[in-house]
Amino acid sequence: MDMHPRALEQSNSQFGGPIPNESELTAGVRIEPGKSYGFFTDTTLCIGCKACEVACKEWNNLPADNLGLTGQSYDNTGALSANTWRHVNFIEKAGVRENDLAPFQSGWLMMSDVCKHCHNAPCLEACPTGALFKTEFDTVVVQQDICNGCGYCVPACPFGVVDLSDLDGKAHKCTLCYDRLKGGLEPACAKSCPTDSIQFGEIGELQQRARERVGELHRLGAEEAYLYGTPGAPGATGDLGHLNAFFLLTDRPETYNLPAAPTRASNRVVPSLFSGLAAVAGLALAAAAMFARR
Amino acid sequence: MYQGPTYYGRAQLKPSPFNNWVVGGYVFLAGLSGGAALISAIADAVRPIGAAGAVRRGRYLAMLAPLVGPLLLIEDLRTPSRFYNMLRVAKGTSPMSIGTWILMAFSAFAGLGAAAQFASDRLGWLWPRRAARATQVPAAVAGAGLATYTAGLFAATSTPLWAAAPQSLAVRFGASSVAAAGAALSLAERSARTRRALDAITVAALATELAATEASHRSYRRAGVDGALDGAWGQVEKIGATGLGAALPLGLLVASLALGRRAGRLSQAASLATLAGSALLRMSIMGAGDDSARRPEISLRFSQPDNLPRV
Ligand code: SF4
Repeated sequence: MDMHPRALEQSNSQFGGPIPNESELTAGVRIEPGKSYGFFTDTTLCIGCKACEVACKEWNNLPADNLGLTGQSYDNTGALSANTWRHVNFIEKAGVRENDLAPFQSGWLMMSDVCKHCHNAPCLEACPTGALFKTEFDTVVVQQDICNGCGYCVPACPFGVVDLSDLDGKAHKCTLCYDRLKGGLEPACAKSCPTDSIQFGEIGELQQRARERVGELHRLGAEEAYLYGTPGAPGATGDLGHLNAFFLLTDRPETYNLPAAPTRASNRVVPSLFSGLAAVAGLALAAAAMFARR
Repeated sequence: MYQGPTYYGRAQLKPSPFNNWVVGGYVFLAGLSGGAALISAIADAVRPIGAAGAVRRGRYLAMLAPLVGPLLLIEDLRTPSRFYNMLRVAKGTSPMSIGTWILMAFSAFAGLGAAAQFASDRLGWLWPRRAARATQVPAAVAGAGLATYTAGLFAATSTPLWAAAPQSLAVRFGASSVAAAGAALSLAERSARTRRALDAITVAALATELAATEASHRSYRRAGVDGALDGAWGQVEKIGATGLGAALPLGLLVASLALGRRAGRLSQAASLATLAGSALLRMSIMGAGDDSARRPEISLRFSQPDNLPRV
């Protein structure tokens, strides 16, 4: 990648504080309130190093979930949780390339999963306290000083992301490094990703870049490459809108433990309430008739 | 059932962290209280003198949700000391927020009604009776909401079993609430005529519930999530809530109504079964829903494009 001209001004280590608008140097984007930011995770570039997992834990001060081995390929993290906001999936597949190596030598699929920061986020819509909110960067964040641990966001999320912590009794998930964005820094996972599998940027620009990448992969013969979570694509179904954290995948979504066609849960509120009330109203009429009878 | 790949069989969704006994208990009490307020208001409007006992007991019974409900709900929070944050917003997209305000409104009206009833019972004053009559209409309306919003609360999630049948689940909850209230009031009723009316209401409600149960199960099969009812909670739903808790009391009540005056025991047994069934319905739906979220072959099936709402 080309070096940003401003990087030349920063040749020495500085101890005075963060470099102003550092994200311009590391991600090529200036972070400004009022614009939409997100992640483009290109799974074809992921090498499974888990630098994103580590960077996330370090920056956000998150404890480990599991120190054991799962026996599920190199994935010893297991799943996203209250303490794990980036999670690298490892899928060992046979028959990916034309050779006779064992799957673990040639058939890797790796994907760094994260909160999708849905446009119409079901967790946010379900939250009864307003603790979950849309930030000025169009990301979805749980305000820790408001959350009372009701847990309703947990079943609301169509991706199984947000989770309650046993340690503090609050809901936690990826904040897209809200604090770092405020300070002009690229999110920790994207900054640490050595292959640029995780790219941080403004949504419109990321989507454009992703479409070009799919075209490039198709030209190279990887015809199975497609986007998950861009407008109209799988993942952005059922009135969810687009996902601010979207992915480039090369196998069907379920392989990566992603739903093919998730939906917006709050669309079910009105039909449910009205049918219930109609039934009770009908029974109320019946009750009036029973009492009126001799 | 979904046959495609899963990720090492790991869950794709997270099940709700609710305690099914505590929250299920609340949902049951909310239905019972809401239904009691509704039946008591109707009884007072249609048969004010003859059904005075049922009217009075209905107003008292309605106090279960306001008195016990908040304790159960706060108990289930992971940070209970912040329960009041539920009151800092009102959100139409969140049935939990809608329900908070329905419970608030219901508590106010039902509380005034019960207090007025108490004043007229103990002090014999006349004006409290008028006050109780004035509050019973808004209490009944809020009660209808209290009896049904909980189904919307489950339906408006990504848990497959809850999301697969939003409408029929709400009809089941609403009808089960009316049935439970009718059964509870019938148990305490001394006038044979009023008891017959209450039993007839319970019959109508149980029949509605059974029809909605059938509709729910059809939706589950169509969406491919019916496997979620194969587990222990599913058996409780089928045998406990639907069989022993709805179909059996329906039969007993029809028999007791046909036998006329001599069938008090049948009516009592049916009422107890109805109450137990109503509680089991809520708990088993919660438990089986959690099962459906834990099992990837069910959640990945539910999120296939053929289950997208038609636009
Ligand atoms: S992926 Fe889940 S936790 Fe993240 S914004 Fe969407 S609903 Fe909320």
